[in-house]
Amino acid sequence: MTTLDVISPKRRSHGSVTLWAGLALVGLHIAIGLLTLVWTPYDPTGMSGGRLEAPSWLHWAGTDRLGRDFLTQIMVGSRIALIVGTGAVAIGAALGVTLGILAAFASKLLDDALAATLDILIAFPTLLIAMLVVAASDTANLASAIIAIGIALSAIVARLTRILVKRVLLMDFITAARTSGSSWPAIVFGHVLPNIWPTLSVNFALQFGLAVIAEASLSYLGLGAPPPNASWGRLLQEAQGTVYTAPIGAIAPGIALVSLVIGINLLADGLRDSIDPTRRAR
Amino acid sequence: MSLISRRILLTASLLASVAFAPAAFAQDFDPNATIRIGSLYEPQNLDNTAGAGQGINEAFNGNVYEALFQLTDAGSVEPALVADYTVSEDGLTYTFTLKDGVTFHSGDPLTAADVKYSIERVTAETSKSSRKRSLSTITGIETPDDKTVVITLSARSISLPYNLSYVWIVNDAATDITATEDGTGPYTLEEWRRGSALALARFDGYWGTAPSNGEVIYTYFTDATALNNALLTNAVDVITSVQSPDSLAQFAGNPSFTVTEGASTTKELLAYNDRVAPFDNVQVRKALARAVDKARLLNSIWGDYGTLIGSFVPPTDPWYVDLTGVDAYDPDSAKAFLAEAGYPDGFTFTLDTPDYDPHPLVAQFLQTELAKVGVTVNINIITANEWYTKIYQEHNFEATLQEHVNHRDIVFYGNPDFYWGYNNPEVVKLIADSEAAGSIDEQTEKLTEANKIIAEDAASNWLYLYPQIVVSAANVSGYPVNGLNSQFFAYEIKKAN
Repeated sequence: MTTLDVISPKRRSHGSVTLWAGLALVGLHIAIGLLTLVWTPYDPTGMSGGRLEAPSWLHWAGTDRLGRDFLTQIMVGSRIALIVGTGAVAIGAALGVTLGILAAFASKLLDDALAATLDILIAFPTLLIAMLVVAASDTANLASAIIAIGIALSAIVARLTRILVKRVLLMDFITAARTSGSSWPAIVFGHVLPNIWPTLSVNFALQFGLAVIAEASLSYLGLGAPPPNASWGRLLQEAQGTVYTAPIGAIAPGIALVSLVIGINLLADGLRDSIDPTRRAR
Repeated sequence: MSLISRRILLTASLLASVAFAPAAFAQDFDPNATIRIGSLYEPQNLDNTAGAGQGINEAFNGNVYEALFQLTDAGSVEPALVADYTVSEDGLTYTFTLKDGVTFHSGDPLTAADVKYSIERVTAETSKSSRKRSLSTITGIETPDDKTVVITLSARSISLPYNLSYVWIVNDAATDITATEDGTGPYTLEEWRRGSALALARFDGYWGTAPSNGEVIYTYFTDATALNNALLTNAVDVITSVQSPDSLAQFAGNPSFTVTEGASTTKELLAYNDRVAPFDNVQVRKALARAVDKARLLNSIWGDYGTLIGSFVPPTDPWYVDLTGVDAYDPDSAKAFLAEAGYPDGFTFTLDTPDYDPHPLVAQFLQTELAKVGVTVNINIITANEWYTKIYQEHNFEATLQEHVNHRDIVFYGNPDFYWGYNNPEVVKLIADSEAAGSIDEQTEKLTEANKIIAEDAASNWLYLYPQIVVSAANVSGYPVNGLNSQFFAYEIKKAN
């Protein structure tokens, strides 16, 4: 790791603090999400307490209107958020990177058409595109929400990829590879992707946060994972009517959502600082 | 609170409101007070045959317009503008004599021609009244003199007086009443500010007992929280119907406010498609009725409010009998019924759930409860529009959740083509015969019988009856507690000095 030596000490410590804070928050959610696969304090759908019980030793975050343990639901919500984030970013990345590379390599006409389409797609809010996709499918479920958010994210990823690829394609080593007779798949996988990867991965981390918020929004609107999936958005929606009498029901999922999204953003920040060569030089 | 004590309270409150005589003996209230009523239901226009919505019934029924009969807050049908009426032997001719001395707000006297005009307004081709169909047996309206109306029917219709309680008597000289009015009620329209308020002023030429207040202002809100805050800050005096128990916490126990629970007619039900397996099997339906702890469900949704019902009929319908014991909560017998029906290991079905409160929460409760007897519920969230096309029109479903708001709507079980597809020839006949009954007693007897049969058949799973909760400032009294058919009679409301 000789390259690390060129980073100024101040910069390095700042970068690692955000990185570690991000890792800790995201790691906590991942750990909780994995834990819920094998153990939860209560059965997530079991009506183990009374109506809207206040937080107590038995129910750390109280209970909802049906008497279900809130903490259990929020823990399960971590798992759902992570599944949605991972799934949506995977779909968005696969679609977006493919489209972006195609556009960069395509003829001027096709490139312009694709660029215009992407601009139009980006002009729509992520949530609106996701709602359109969910509305077009027969029923709302977790898979349709993941696909919808993935498609919405892909436009952003594609535009970024297209610009990055175009910039790399102007580099001398690409011209060298071309003149030496490399096929274009070889150029893409051997030269282009490794060069744009650092920037893309930071963007994927940011998109992950967007996806988590989009899923919460869709669930809040009743278009995400159907009940009894304990999505944070749905928990917020169910707590809306009882926000005065049992505010914990709205506060707890809110904290969970914010902590995961902030964690991911810190992680993305830290990642950018530690792997982006242009930042390292400064 | 136990169910029985709640019912006693309910009866007591009903009696109190019925026995309420406009007090002339003690002037402890301001006879010219302005009563400010807060509501979420602003009318779209002022004509109940032009798709104005439930808000117009709330503001105008009994207040601005009267009918030949009135559906009282206690659920009985009393003569209003009718002094007397006779029915022919065959039940096909009704002769109504109108009250003397009744004038419209414009000064015109009430005549038989106005009544004919008013009924024809509702039955007209262009009318959007939801009650149009119930008046379809009317074949002719004659007006032999100014005080007599003769209605002839194609078939006996014992509910005619009840159905006529929905027909506003409008001055036949008034052509368009979508933004103005000309009725006979105790109030005239003072001002309508679209989007915010509707003001009614006392009509000094009223034929009956004068209102115990001088002015009524309906103020409209789009948000329940804003409405509650308006009452808290003394911007309104009364809220006509509170939609969740959790907003009541700020009023209950506060001596500045009165919380009154009346009987609504809104029933939450798990409706099966009785045409399809396994719901075509009575034992399966009974098993599901017994598998759900409805007392706990009601508590989850409404806290200490609301009532359990054993069938589709609420206590304010004349054919109510307590049927909660027919399929009381008993998961063990539910399992036995399932085994007997050939589903010892249960089965799986899809529950189409409207996406608005309380249905998604009710669906999750049912999912957990039915899982205990081995029945798996897949919750499918749909919009209100989807519900209308997929379920109400196409009957393409296994089971669904819905709230049914209408008064006297047991007749839906007499229609095999209704969305839930319940088809018991005995009930169909009883309900058809009840309409052709010779007397109210006979009608009540037949519908009570039908009520018992649908309960025994567990035709649907009647989960609970919504409460009707009115909250007012402590110095305001005399308002209706049940609000049947969304009516909110304002003329007995008093404001203490």
